Amino acid sequence: MLEKIEQSLKSNPEIKAWNVRHVITRGSQQYDLAKTTEAIREVSSEHYTIDVLCDSLDTEGKPSSGVGTVTVLPGGEINQTLDQAVLTAKLVHNEPYDFPEPSSLPDVELADHDYLKDPPGSIEKVLISLKEQTASYPHVRLAAAECFGQEKITHLVSSKGINAQQNTTEMYLQWVYLAGEGEGEVETFTEIYQRRIADFNLEEKAARRAKYTSGLLLAEGPPSQIGPVLVQGGTLASMVAGEVLSGSLIQTLSAGEMKYSGETPWEIGKSIFRGDVKGDSFNIWANRQLPYGMHSNAFDAEGIPAQRIALIQENKLEAYISDQRFSSYLDIPATGEFGNIELKPGKISTEELTREPHIEIAEFSWFNPNPVTGDFACEIRLGYVVDGKGRKPFKGGLLLGNLLDALADVTWSSETGFYSNYLGPSAARFNNLQIAG
Amino acid sequence: MQNNKLKPEMNQLRPILGDVVSTLESKAPYGAAVLTSRETVKYLVDNNQERVIVGDPTAGVILTAFDGQTLREKAIGGFDKNDLIQGTKDLLRDSSFVKNGKVDPGLERKHDYQTTMENDPAQVPTNEKLEFLREMNQRVNKIDSRIVNARVSYVEFREKTIFRNRAADISQDVQRVHMSIMVTVKGNKGVVFDWTSKCGTAGLEILTFTDEELETVVKNAIKLLEADRIEPGEYTVVTAPGVSGVICHESFGHGVETDMFLKERAKAANYIDRRVGSDLVNIYDDPGFPGAFGSYFFDDEGVSAASTQIVKNGIFERGLTDLYSATALGIPRSPNGRRQDFSRKVYPRMSNTFFGSGDTPLEELIGRVENGIYLPKISSGMEDPKGWGIQVSCHYGFEIRGGKMTDKMFASIGLTGYVPDVLASVSAVSSDFDLVGGYCGKGTKEVVPVTDGGPHLLMKVRLG
Repeated sequence: MLEKIEQSLKSNPEIKAWNVRHVITRGSQQYDLAKTTEAIREVSSEHYTIDVLCDSLDTEGKPSSGVGTVTVLPGGEINQTLDQAVLTAKLVHNEPYDFPEPSSLPDVELADHDYLKDPPGSIEKVLISLKEQTASYPHVRLAAAECFGQEKITHLVSSKGINAQQNTTEMYLQWVYLAGEGEGEVETFTEIYQRRIADFNLEEKAARRAKYTSGLLLAEGPPSQIGPVLVQGGTLASMVAGEVLSGSLIQTLSAGEMKYSGETPWEIGKSIFRGDVKGDSFNIWANRQLPYGMHSNAFDAEGIPAQRIALIQENKLEAYISDQRFSSYLDIPATGEFGNIELKPGKISTEELTREPHIEIAEFSWFNPNPVTGDFACEIRLGYVVDGKGRKPFKGGLLLGNLLDALADVTWSSETGFYSNYLGPSAARFNNLQIAG
Repeated sequence: MQNNKLKPEMNQLRPILGDVVSTLESKAPYGAAVLTSRETVKYLVDNNQERVIVGDPTAGVILTAFDGQTLREKAIGGFDKNDLIQGTKDLLRDSSFVKNGKVDPGLERKHDYQTTMENDPAQVPTNEKLEFLREMNQRVNKIDSRIVNARVSYVEFREKTIFRNRAADISQDVQRVHMSIMVTVKGNKGVVFDWTSKCGTAGLEILTFTDEELETVVKNAIKLLEADRIEPGEYTVVTAPGVSGVICHESFGHGVETDMFLKERAKAANYIDRRVGSDLVNIYDDPGFPGAFGSYFFDDEGVSAASTQIVKNGIFERGLTDLYSATALGIPRSPNGRRQDFSRKVYPRMSNTFFGSGDTPLEELIGRVENGIYLPKISSGMEDPKGWGIQVSCHYGFEIRGGKMTDKMFASIGLTGYVPDVLASVSAVSSDFDLVGGYCGKGTKEVVPVTDGGPHLLMKVRLG
């Protein structure tokens, strides 16, 4: 099928460049309730996604380029589908550009080979292991859990000579812990995306979530104050790197596309912050080579190789993240997709960070800052008042502020952690944030 | 049976689905076969680029075998007859079933459904769609020189489904369209944006914007450059239909999806027939709402669309179910079994969820507010079904003073509260009604199109 598609593409003189992604996926899913298995599913699919680039004249008669994309299922009709792609490509008018040339691809670890030996069995074992871990915490009950595994094989071929394949796995685990009884019963809900089952790190995660669940049982009303706020683990990762599936402020404002459209205030060589930096300096890499990172790959959808881009160094923007098109418009190197966020750790241990009185936020309802301004007002689902006398849990209230201002006044821990799409300090003390109780 | 516009390869497989179901039910108490195709095309025109983006195809066969305790499913991409037959054999070979399990297949039905459209997007050439977006982009850009970008996007979703079990042989061809206009402006304080959108199960005929609508979105984007931060505290607020809708979506929407009852995640499970809001609070979910973005003719388990009243005069009546949760809980089914696509499981999900209208004219409702905030624009929301906390993000709000709207804008605004307190504080419900379309996930996955809405509500909440 791939050869037939290639032949059809090569024989069409209207096509300036093309690429084809042949994608095969196989997945196993299991859904458990406390005492029974609700569902067991197996999923498989295969398709070919074809991008064609054509040159044409725009509505004012100027040269332009456009892409048309179509998908074909195995055995599907090829020529008619490609004609539709060409028609679309010639109707879309952008400044002229071309598809990327081939270049050497890095070797990036992307697949869980243990999972691939027995996908349904591996998924079942994760859920059994979760139950065993939970048994260590008699104050919590495991009410439900879901675990998915998916293998994805992507073979990319392009008119420029790219011919590459990558095999990846994606794992997903969610579970619900309950504690207490009746009206006072509380829950915590956990979701983890990883490429390897081993990176679920179940022992540590189960312990942390069990602790949070029991914290909720004792939680009182929120305080109102302005001062240091400590955030750790996956909660910190989602503050800095955004949701695993959607990204956040840093990805938006560093995009070449946003630079081209004039929608980002960030400039190369200038501080990304609006004022003085009072805390640790901010150093970030956009890293697609991170072993087993959720946004790692050997090549992206265009075939651009994975890179580790020094994005922000000493608070200053060093690069824009850009696909082939916008890199050619901006005359900058094409980086391809953003990838994962790698953040330089600090020099102070978590123990030192937590020595002074502070508020710790264990979990937000949803940390969702405005994707352009960075302003946020997020409900706190569980926090702790740490005042030297003890650690008192609370729930509710809002954390208020601006993410960029918060990142300009933060102290990072020296210890690091890996959370799906983030590698960096495992704790941070934001020195001056407002909590509205 | 009048056929609709299904894919030819789906129609070719349809005659053998009855045999497939019979084969499944030779071992399992209940079997179903579904053919589903979901296609998405997004068109984008802004000041700097044009794009036509075709979403990854999600087309395939879902085979379900259920014994009343565990659902077993095999989902196979594409519509190949041999794959379907082999998949049926594999599913039965790899599964064991509890005997004598009873599962209700529902009423006997045979029908083909299709979205009513004046202007079917499938019949409109790509160049006409692009030209329409270009014109819209130009209309917006002419309004103010401070506009940095006017991003006009149009998405069309086509869902074609054939559902077969021992009682039903039904199909639907659902067309959804969604158009949004996002305006970015730049000022001394930075870059800000506002947007407006229209969507529905309909054709292109619903995607028209008046000059006044476009001028309003630009005006509000510019006002955001000078917006103040709101002082955190408790406020009397008037919520516009989109904000009202997200409040009911996050309170008695997610929290009454009855898989949450099975997982013991929902406080509402203990509140059936109990008061959860003021007498003025009525909440519904209705996938049959004509033309709404979250509408369908039958759910992904073959249950015909109908309205479900969730809260009646402040009393919680019932939750939203799928086949599994209704069977396990022994409660009636509602048409809310939905899956993201063929690769995902069905869950009980909302469709069009809204507060029922009241009888207070909007002007009178605002006139009752001495000092308060009008919240016209929703950004997002998050549920907390066990703790009954609620977080709703509003893009901005306007001050109400002396019973009159003012131009003073606050942004961004977070609305929080304890669900029973928020609903108990509803002291007036306007007589108008609107639905706002969007997308809803369960956790961070399982995204389906929905609408939320209702009338304007007068209530007390915490803002920050």
